[in-house]
Amino acid sequence: MATASAPAASSRQGPRTLRFPRLHRFLHKGGLELACVLLGGLALWALVSHVIPRPDRYLPSPGTVVYSSFDMLWKGLLPEFIWNTIWRLLIGSGLGILVGIPFGILLGLNRMVSDMFYPILNFFQSIAGIALLPVVMIWWGSSEQTVIFVILYTCLFPIAFNVLVGVRSIPRIYVNALRTLGASRLRIVRDVILPGALPSIATGLRLGIGFAWRAVIAGEMLAGQQGLGWMIFTAQQVDLTAQVILGMAMIGLLWIVLDRYLLRPLEVDTIQRWGLVQR
Amino acid sequence: MNAAASALALERVGLDRRRLRRIGLGAIPFFLLLSLWQLNTYMGWLKPIYIPPLGSVVSAIFTLQEGCPGLWAVLTMNESCLFTSHVLSSMGRVGLGLAVGVPLGIGLGLLAGMSRRLGNAMEPLGVFANAISGIAWVPLAIVWFGVGWMTTLFILLNTVFWLVFFNTLLGVRGVPRTFENSVLTLGGGRRHVIFQVYLPGALPSIVTGVRMSMGFGWRALIAAEMIGGNKGLGFMIFVSAGEYKVEEVFLGVLFIGIIWMITDRTILVPLEKWTIERWGLVWRPS
Amino acid sequence: MREKLIVEGLSHHYPDEYTGMDVHALDNVSFKVHEGEFAAVVGPSGCGKSTLLNILAGLLPHKVGSVRVDGTEVKGPGPDRGVVFQEHAILPWRTVSRNIGHGLEIQGVPAAERNRRVQEFVDMVGLTGFEGRYPHELSGGMKQRVALARTLCANPVVMLMDEPFAAVDAQTRITLQEELNRIAIATRKTILFITHNVDEAAFLGDRCFIFTRRPGRLKATVKINLPREARQWKNAAADPAFNRARDEILAMVREEVRDGDG
Repeated sequence: MATASAPAASSRQGPRTLRFPRLHRFLHKGGLELACVLLGGLALWALVSHVIPRPDRYLPSPGTVVYSSFDMLWKGLLPEFIWNTIWRLLIGSGLGILVGIPFGILLGLNRMVSDMFYPILNFFQSIAGIALLPVVMIWWGSSEQTVIFVILYTCLFPIAFNVLVGVRSIPRIYVNALRTLGASRLRIVRDVILPGALPSIATGLRLGIGFAWRAVIAGEMLAGQQGLGWMIFTAQQVDLTAQVILGMAMIGLLWIVLDRYLLRPLEVDTIQRWGLVQR
Repeated sequence: MNAAASALALERVGLDRRRLRRIGLGAIPFFLLLSLWQLNTYMGWLKPIYIPPLGSVVSAIFTLQEGCPGLWAVLTMNESCLFTSHVLSSMGRVGLGLAVGVPLGIGLGLLAGMSRRLGNAMEPLGVFANAISGIAWVPLAIVWFGVGWMTTLFILLNTVFWLVFFNTLLGVRGVPRTFENSVLTLGGGRRHVIFQVYLPGALPSIVTGVRMSMGFGWRALIAAEMIGGNKGLGFMIFVSAGEYKVEEVFLGVLFIGIIWMITDRTILVPLEKWTIERWGLVWRPS
Repeated sequence: MREKLIVEGLSHHYPDEYTGMDVHALDNVSFKVHEGEFAAVVGPSGCGKSTLLNILAGLLPHKVGSVRVDGTEVKGPGPDRGVVFQEHAILPWRTVSRNIGHGLEIQGVPAAERNRRVQEFVDMVGLTGFEGRYPHELSGGMKQRVALARTLCANPVVMLMDEPFAAVDAQTRITLQEELNRIAIATRKTILFITHNVDEAAFLGDRCFIFTRRPGRLKATVKINLPREARQWKNAAADPAFNRARDEILAMVREEVRDGDG
């Protein structure tokens, strides 16, 4: 049976072609409601900040926030803060990934070992990195090292834990099938364990980096390292609420970009491609 | 006693060989860790300022509780019972936050899930609100509410509500239309549709949402207490760290983990078992 | 005719996971399978058929008795004994051709030669055109064909098949049986085929080994005299000798099941 031939030329369904097909799609998929909510929200915001006493402190108007963002951009501060925060996240979680994945795989290979380590990994996963921050601050004071270590910790356990569970839930039959084909242990890890655990690795990554993102913000606030978290913390202390809101918006945006366009597609892609059903 | 009889006896207690084996094995790393900890104090590898002796961590409880007049004072969160007042304060906030945030989240999530317009309007809002992780709200919350319990409660509520809302929304969306139609053709009204179709149908997602919100919420609470609180476990460890009282910090950290594990085991897992596993909606590896 | 597979005095016990009690799975099993022969093992559920297969495959160690393939004692799994599992066990993250060629890949066969052989078996099992598909795009019957091709392609000395058609619908099952027969004739492989379906055992096997219920013992051996080239279901269903043999097997298996139910 022949597979699909070359794809058809760009479809022109029906006699009428839409002039702005993308706009149509956007509107149909709820874009209209989104636009209404956004505009309505902005209007409400502006109204509230107009009405309350001391808007500069409690709720600066949207305009003030936008103005402050240009100000910070022009001074080069905003990009620097964003870069610092991201860089810390990358290093900390990068290290966490580098350690967590092999760790999880090794522990997952043997049934007795993974039964042994499951509870303790679960335990450490539940002690948030943020709770560990004061301890690390006693050790190393308020430094870059402190924050990165906390991020590493925050990221490591969710990843190791998920990878362990992922490796364990690979059906034994695949391993047996390869054994009957004469595969060595190493080959089995390469051909069965790693691909089979990939969806769990992706899930663990998503979880770990999610936690790490929160940890980096909190870490900056408490350990005083310059970045987005630090920015909103210090801005609050000097009543620059516009900057606080700006910072929050940046944090939200960055996470959306990170999650929607990097982490979630990674997770969905590995699962869908192999037709595996998620837990 | 032969093997069969002892096996039956154990089964009556709710344990079988497999579970015993698993619990036994799982305890080993904990014992190893505790032994290493004690060994460290004995051998002096790392200074006590880095790793305090296990004994001092335990006795810190009593030190903190020194001024405490009695059980009643503990329950009323009397200030002199330092340790328990912090623990109960944190837990109380979690309880309050859940009691308010979860029903609100479910309620709005149901409505938003059933109405396409409302859902489309609120979903991006939910995405964005979730993205601004709880901690980023702290400075703004401090501006509005000042340092104190309102700020910490607000952060918790914020985290819990949006997570539960979002998961409920997705859960409701995932319920096949045919279920609603079948109830309608049986003569059911809107109320039946909500409570007999969408609520149970979305339950797996709701439970996931509750579980996630507890996890994230607990973390956000601790962080909020550190930065903008004046009571609670997070606050306690932050202050103790400032005074270099390492044993108190360790105590607090350990308790954070223990409390979470207990909550997870005693509330969440049974909750999951009772609702969704019973209905065969969740696959568990044996 | 050489004997490819010799089992002598095989017994197997194992402790039950939940209760710790001892399960006597197999009791003093002995038989021989000749080169090129298709041996069917049939018996009631729980008679130890799968345990037998796992031992022959080397996935389960045996302590009492001996299992020899081509004269060598079986110690662990290996490419000399190819296995087709009931749940096919083809890797979901590999395409059809990469799955089929997996055995050759492990053996270190260079790519060009490997591709040629893979194509040969793709055609043999009737999956031409599906080389680039992933398992989740295939039906149950097609997945089983991939599993079959993979085992064949690795060129084992003996093929062990563990109820491979149990999870497939009746129509596909009949088709697969006829195809397996055709392939067995063409490749002249020595095959040991486990099933609980008496019709299937009689249709495919040169000889049928009938097992008792637990502990599994070899109850009887029935020879099917219909020549393999003539085995199509429309012929077999009409052939009186075939039906007699099949009824004999069925009666014996029924005995075991009935006794078991008390």
